[in-house]
Formats: sequence, structure tokens, C-alpha cells
Amino acid sequence: MIKNYFKIAWRNILRSKGYSAINIGGLALGMAVTLIIGLWLQDELSYNKHFTNYNEIAQVFQSQTFNGQTSTGPAIPRPLERAFRDRYGDKFKHIVMSSWQNSEYLKYKDINIAREGNFMQRGGPEMLGLDIIAGELDGLREINSIMISASTANALFGTEDPIGKVLKVNNEYNMMVTAVYKDLPFNTNFHGLTYIQPWEHYITTEEWLKEAETNWGNNSFQMFVQLADNSNMESVSSAIQYVKKDLNEDTREFNPLLFLFPMKDWHLRSNFENGKQTGGRIQYVWLFGIIGLFVLLLACINFMNLSTARSEKRSKEVGIRKSIGSQRNQLINQFLGESFLVVVIAYVLAILLVLLALNSFNDLSLKQIRFPWTSLTFWASSLIFVIITSLLAGSYPALYLSSFNPVEVLKGTFKAGKLAGLPRKVMVVIQFTVSVAFIIGTLIVLQQIQFAKNRPIGYDKEGLVQIPTLSQDFIGKYDLMRMEFLNSNAVIEMSSSSSPTTNVWSNRSGYTWESKPEGFQDDFAWIDVAPEFAKSLNLKILAGRDFSRDFSTDSTAVLINETAAKYMGLSNPVGVQLKDSDEEDPDPPLTIIGVVEDMVMQSPYDPVKQAIYAFDGYGESSYYNLRLNPGNSASENLEIVENVFKKHFPDLPFEYQFVDQEYERKFRSEVRIARLASIFTALAILISCLGLFGLTSFVAEQRTKEIGVRKVLGASVFNVWKMLSKDFIGLVILSCIIAIPISYYLMNGWLESYTYSVSLSWWIFALAIIGAIIITLLTVSFQALKAAKSNPVNSLRTE
Amino acid sequence: MLLELKNVFKWVQSSSNPVFLLKDINLQVREGEFISIMGPSGSGKSTLLNVIGMLDGFNEGEYNFMHESVHSLKEKQRANLYKEYIGFVFQAYHLLDDLTVEENLEMPLLYKKVKSGERKARVADMLDRFRIVGKKDLFPAQLSGGQQQLVGVARALIGNPKLILADEPTGNLNSKQGEEIMDLFKQLNEEGVTIIQVTHSEKNAAYGQRIINLLDGRMV
Repeated sequence: MIKNYFKIAWRNILRSKGYSAINIGGLALGMAVTLIIGLWLQDELSYNKHFTNYNEIAQVFQSQTFNGQTSTGPAIPRPLERAFRDRYGDKFKHIVMSSWQNSEYLKYKDINIAREGNFMQRGGPEMLGLDIIAGELDGLREINSIMISASTANALFGTEDPIGKVLKVNNEYNMMVTAVYKDLPFNTNFHGLTYIQPWEHYITTEEWLKEAETNWGNNSFQMFVQLADNSNMESVSSAIQYVKKDLNEDTREFNPLLFLFPMKDWHLRSNFENGKQTGGRIQYVWLFGIIGLFVLLLACINFMNLSTARSEKRSKEVGIRKSIGSQRNQLINQFLGESFLVVVIAYVLAILLVLLALNSFNDLSLKQIRFPWTSLTFWASSLIFVIITSLLAGSYPALYLSSFNPVEVLKGTFKAGKLAGLPRKVMVVIQFTVSVAFIIGTLIVLQQIQFAKNRPIGYDKEGLVQIPTLSQDFIGKYDLMRMEFLNSNAVIEMSSSSSPTTNVWSNRSGYTWESKPEGFQDDFAWIDVAPEFAKSLNLKILAGRDFSRDFSTDSTAVLINETAAKYMGLSNPVGVQLKDSDEEDPDPPLTIIGVVEDMVMQSPYDPVKQAIYAFDGYGESSYYNLRLNPGNSASENLEIVENVFKKHFPDLPFEYQFVDQEYERKFRSEVRIARLASIFTALAILISCLGLFGLTSFVAEQRTKEIGVRKVLGASVFNVWKMLSKDFIGLVILSCIIAIPISYYLMNGWLESYTYSVSLSWWIFALAIIGAIIITLLTVSFQALKAAKSNPVNSLRTE
Repeated sequence: MLLELKNVFKWVQSSSNPVFLLKDINLQVREGEFISIMGPSGSGKSTLLNVIGMLDGFNEGEYNFMHESVHSLKEKQRANLYKEYIGFVFQAYHLLDDLTVEENLEMPLLYKKVKSGERKARVADMLDRFRIVGKKDLFPAQLSGGQQQLVGVARALIGNPKLILADEPTGNLNSKQGEEIMDLFKQLNEEGVTIIQVTHSEKNAAYGQRIINLLDGRMV
């Protein structure tokens, strides 16, 4: 029997090739989208799960409140380590202090490479469960040891055995390789950790690091913990809440609250607003999950619509089978079996599509997803997926087709009707509602990105190149390098700064000025800059003057931005003095000499933060900012710059970034979403149109005779076209009416998460409606015109 | 007694008044009879045949088939009953276009859950008997009308039914083909199969032993 069913199903597929192509193709596309999204979701949800101690690892986070604004982050002060070990040592298996992940130069013989890594306490590698290839897990025991990842080992040593070899770090100090560990997977927060050095070494490298041991106000460190076997994340988290507040008086006014941020939340739920966890990437997990389901639904609707539209063709078979003795449930099984066959074929095609698309998808979504050939879970869930899709797509047609009355069907009085019934109309409306909502959503995301990109950023980022200067070798070389670069004719101006122009690495508070209100908790973005900073960036001076090398007093001068002037309540800030509020050992007071235009350094969606640009007296720069000579090509300039660089720093690799490209990276996540959303929208529309195309062709076929009669009676091609298209256009307009409020509501919610956002304008919605109608017309007209132009004699003769 | 209809009424509700399709039908059919139902278009011939074949229901009256009260049976039991004892032959043949001759013949046996070996044997037997062995792999569209109806009769017969219901079996055939089919019916009847046919043609009706005339749903 089953063989018989499949035989009929298979011959049906072969007999109506066009129909089958639409049906299977649409379904395959939909399934491919769902599969890819499924793989993406799996990747997102399995983030960090590589770590065996996934459930026990947490990072210590701190919330502090300045002027009623609570900010939350991982930065904590050093004395916390002592407090934790003394008071709660038994709650944790590991307490691991860590530096931020940073790029350093690692040199072995002639090879000098820049690598990302950090400094950690001894328990770190064990906590992370590093997979040791050579050497020992306890590799941070000695103060001069370094653990490196396999890729780093390969880059430095090739086939040599790295264990026991000595590396030179940043051209400053020597470290001995004690272990090589397997690189951490891409979908973990420690992916970039390609070396680990001992924390004990880190805290001796600079004076301020040593001093931080007792400084509760210096939040410049990270602390990771692994819970002891018998302790519970939540109870420990609430136990440690007030540690800092209890132990330190000076910072109490900021209400520092500590908590454990569990590893399972790091990736997906990392947003905090006013001290409360407010989600994060999880919203995109939901978004794409829903998109995937909808695209699959669209494809299933196609299947249902086309199957039921063809019902007249199948009705005779139903009648015969019933008259021969088939029961309804046997017919239902038969039709479900056919759906299953179609879905299985579509699934195989979908897998092929996924394999073809996976690389581009990875590029687009910045992932390294591989096809899970060997994953049993994947194949098991695929089977469930196929069965669910078969049921979703097949059950309505099966119930519908099997319900035919054999007497009517065999007598030939059975007619499926024009558009055949409400269910099909409802399904077309659902399809187009989803498609139109997708169109609107995508347009708004694109508009928001464009809006933020068009925002004036206060300086000229074109033709600006930055060179990282993190190595100690750069100290004291600024003036020399500036002369060299300017003389080389490749650079027309140059400056240095302690943060890149596209970020702020440091914030400071604790200043007073004349009109400062009582109890005002000041907080500024702080950037140490060379005097030529404004000039090299083409940053406009709005009041006062720029730094000048002619005034020796400028070593205690600062520039502030417009926002800072407003923030401090100064209508005429030039000449105002900023005093250090530390009474025991105050730094000399700083004088505001000028106000510069607001410069977007952080998020392009947020207001610019109040910032102080201070004269860099110690040459502690992190970046050189080079304004290239517009007279030469960029490659010419860079070649010259590299030569100059190599002359002075022969041991350091020449690294540089174009500032405009760095700035562009701020939009990465939104651009990524926009691209993915555009693609999924296009596919959703394509699938819906495929269905509509199939549906029109059946309607046209059913009405062949009617069209013939109408034409004989004098209907023009236009009349017939109008008649056939009208119904569908009505449905699409109805879809738009439903889709607009839904998408308005959802997109408004999305935009609210940005401070600096585009306002929703009516033309977006109009554009989506017009687009949907045009697409529908094009799809429908192809078949409608074909039917309308056919010679009535042919269609009437067939009866 | 093979089947008996007592005071059977069937109607459809149109705008206000019911329209009667069958009115007070009383009919007894003994095993081995060959009955022709005649009457003008719309007189209810096909409706009666469908009611007998249990494809259609009725509104009032009693229907007993081989001592079973059809009117009180559930759909599934009814289907089992006619699957077992009744074979249909249609004017438009109604073969499944997607199946070959052989597969069309096999289908009723599949629904009766006959085992594979026996199925093969009975299909081969039937192909042989109707002399269509050479056509077994062809699809219906590749056959002439007469040949298709031959397959239709063979399919009705393959389940060894007690009763064959034929709705204008020669209506789409030319006279020579029609004659062949009627001869076949006659021969089957002689072998013991009960046959009820609906027909317009006096000549074909004459093959039967008894003629039932219908007018406006009533037996006359």
C-alpha cells in the first residue's frame, strides 16, 4: 500500500513538473533559511559551552551610581581580591584576577608578531579547562613564564618544540614558554586569548599597578571566579554584594554593588540599564528565531495553497479510491505520505543550499559555523523538523482533499471555486502580512544605519591613519617621530592620543571648579593628547584657542568639548580652572584654554560624552594619528610611513588602521543585522511570490472556459487581466493594513533602544505597500496575461 | 435476498421546499439477478444506484444488505461492507491516470489488505481473463475507451464482489465496444454475479431480466 502511495506521489511530482518545481523549490528555500537560522541559533546558544566549568564560572561585576546614573561593568579594584579570599575563600574553587585582553609583541629569533592575550592568576588555565598540548596546565607558576596557544606556537616556532624556549615580549622582557594549549573556539569569549602571562608579573610592570593594590577607587581590573562545588551562584552573588561598600568609605557615595555575572549570560544577556540586566543579543536570537519560523510558515502555506488549489485534479482520484473502498483515514495517510515525500526531497535540496550558502553566511554574520555532519543531535532534530514540516504543510491539504464526496466528484459536479474558499485567502493574507512586515522592518533598520552614519562626527576621518604605540619603545619618541613623518612628505600633520579616536579608554572624576554645584559627582571622558591633536583631526575650536608649543603653561592646559561646557554649567569656560579634589596630594590645577566641537568617539547612537583633552606631558600615548598628505595616493603615503617607522623601530611590526574604517566598525552589528534581514526578506518575498505565481496559474487554468466565453462576448485582454488580478491585489492591500501597525509597534520598540535614532516616517510604509503591490502585480500578471491572450476557440473546444 | 430497500426517501433542501430525489422506493434484489434501471434524465437513476452502492445516504426508510441494516451502520462499517461485496463500473471509466493497468487492477486488493502473492496471482488471472496481458504496463490514457472500460470492469470484478453496480457503462463507447461490454456482463451474470445497471438504451436494458423504470424519483 505504502509503495503504491509513493508511486502515485512520485508520478504526480513528475507529471506536473512546473508545479512540483514551485512547490519543492519554495519549500527547499524555506527549509534552507530555517536550517541556516537554526545553525546560527545553535551557535549563539552554545556560546562558551566549550568550557567544562560553564555553569560554575562567573565574572565579578560592579554597579556604581554617578548623579543618579547607574553604570554596570566588569571593572573592579584590586583590593577586592584580598577581601574575597579572606571572607569568601571557601565559596570559590578559583579566584582569578586578570588584566584586560591586550595586544603585545612576541618575539622569538627574527619573528616578531602582535598577539592578543592577557595576564592571569595561576588558577586561570585550570578554571578555563585549557586543553594542554605540550607543557603543563599549571604553567603560570613562575613569574617569568608564558603559556601560548597552538596557533601562536606555530607562528613563532613552526616545527620546533616551544617548551622551555624564551620569548621577548614587547622588546622589553623575557618569558619562558611553559605550555602550549589548544586554541579556544571561535564562539567563546576567550577566543582571542592566544597567550597568558602571570598576573604576578603584570603587577610589577608599572608603578600605578603596584599602587592599585590598596586603591579601592581604581577600577581597572577583572576578576573571574569558579564556584566551589557546594556553593550556589545566586546565594554567593548576594553574599558579596556589599563587600566594597563595607570596606571602603571613600567610594561609598557611588553605592558600589557587586554581583556574580554567570558565564551563561556573558554572550546573550550582557546589557545593563540602571543596574538591571536588560537582555542583549538574546533579542536577536529571538528575532532570527521568529524570522526562521515565519519563513518556514510561508513555505508551508505555499504548499498548502498549491495542494488545495490542485484539488480538482486530485478529486477524481479521491472519488475513485473511496468508491473502491478506501476509508478517509487511509486517504489522509496517503496525502500525508505525499507531503512527507515532497518535504524529504525539499530537505535534501535545502541541505545542498545550506552547504552552498554557509560560507557566505559565515562572512556575513561573522561566524565560523561548520556543517554538523557528525552531530547526531543535528540529524535527529532534522528528522523531527522534516516530520513537523510535513505535518504543518500536509495536514490541511490531506484533511481537505480526503473530505470530498465521491458521488459529487465522480459526477463531475465538483468545482473548487474561484479562489476556493476562505482558508486559502487567509493564508495568502498571512504570507503577505509577514512579507510586508519584513520589508518595513528591513527598510527601517537600513534607514537607522544611514541616519547614524550621516551624523556629523566633529572631525575629519578620511585620510586619517592610526598607528598603535603600546610598546615602551615609543616613550619619548613623539617629537622625533613627528618631525620624521612631516619631513617625509607623506604626512601633513600628526598627533598622539591615549585613546584611539574611535573610542574612550579612560574616565576621570574628582575635579572641582568655581561654579560646581554642591554634591555634583563629576565624570569625564579623559584623553591625553599631543598639542597637535585638534589640528591633525581637523577638529574645530569653537571658543578659546588650541594648544600651542609656544606657551610653556600649556602643560597644565586642557581642551574640553561642547558637551562638557554645558555639563559643567559654564557659559564662558575659557580660563576656568579645574582643581583636583584630592586634598592630601593634589595634582596641579588645570586651565581650560578652549572648547572643541563634540567629537563622536564612542557609540554613534549615543550622545557625545563630556570629555577633557589634556596636554600629554609624559608621552604616554596609545596611538599616533597621522593625517596623510592628500597630494599622494594612500598606498604611496603608507609605503613612506612604513619606511620611516621601520627606520626607528626595526624590531616592531608595522601596524596601522584607517580611522574611517575603524569608525565604520561601530556599525558592524547593525549592518550585519540589516544584511541578514534584507536577505531573509528577499527570500520571504520570493517564496510568497512563488506561491502566488502557482496559485494564479491554477486559477487561470480553472477559469479557462470562463475566460474563453468572456472573450467571445467581447472582453478585452485588459478586462480579463483586471478580473484575474483584482482578487489578489485586494488580499495584498489587506495584508498591508494588518502589517503596518504590527511593524510600527515592533520597530518603534527597536528604535527606542537607541538614544540617537531616526523617527519613523510615513513614506517607509508607503514604499512598502507600493513595493508589495508592484511585486504582486508582476507575479500575477504573467499568468493573467497568458490566460487573457489565449485564443478562446482553443479553450472552448476542449469541453 | 441480497438487498432490500423499504420506503426509501431522499431529498435536498432547496430555498424553501424540499426537492425529492427518491420517493418511496421499495426494491428487493435476489442474488443472481440482472436488473436494468431506466428513466429520463434527472429521474434519480444514478442516485438510486449510489444509494445501493452506499456511496450516498438517504433521509428516510430502511436499507438491508445481506442482513445488515445499512442505515444504522457507521461510515467505516459501511465502507467495509461495500469494499467486500460491491464493485463499481462508471460511464467515464474512472481509472487512476497515474497508475498502470496492472496497478489499477491491484488497488482494490490493497484496500482489502490482500497479501502480495495472492494479489499478483489475482491480477494476473484477471489480465488473462480479459485478454489484456499485453497492456498491463500501459497507462489509461494510452488505451481506447473500450479497453479502458474493460479494465474498469476487471477492476470491479477483481475483489470477487457479489454485486456489480454499473452507471451507464457503455455511455462513452461506440456500439461495437458497448456490445462487448454488455456481453461480458451477461456472461458474468451467468457465472452468478448480481448486476444492477443504469442505462438509457432499450437494447442494453434488454440484457437484464428485470427493468425498473424511474420517473421523478418514483418507481413506475
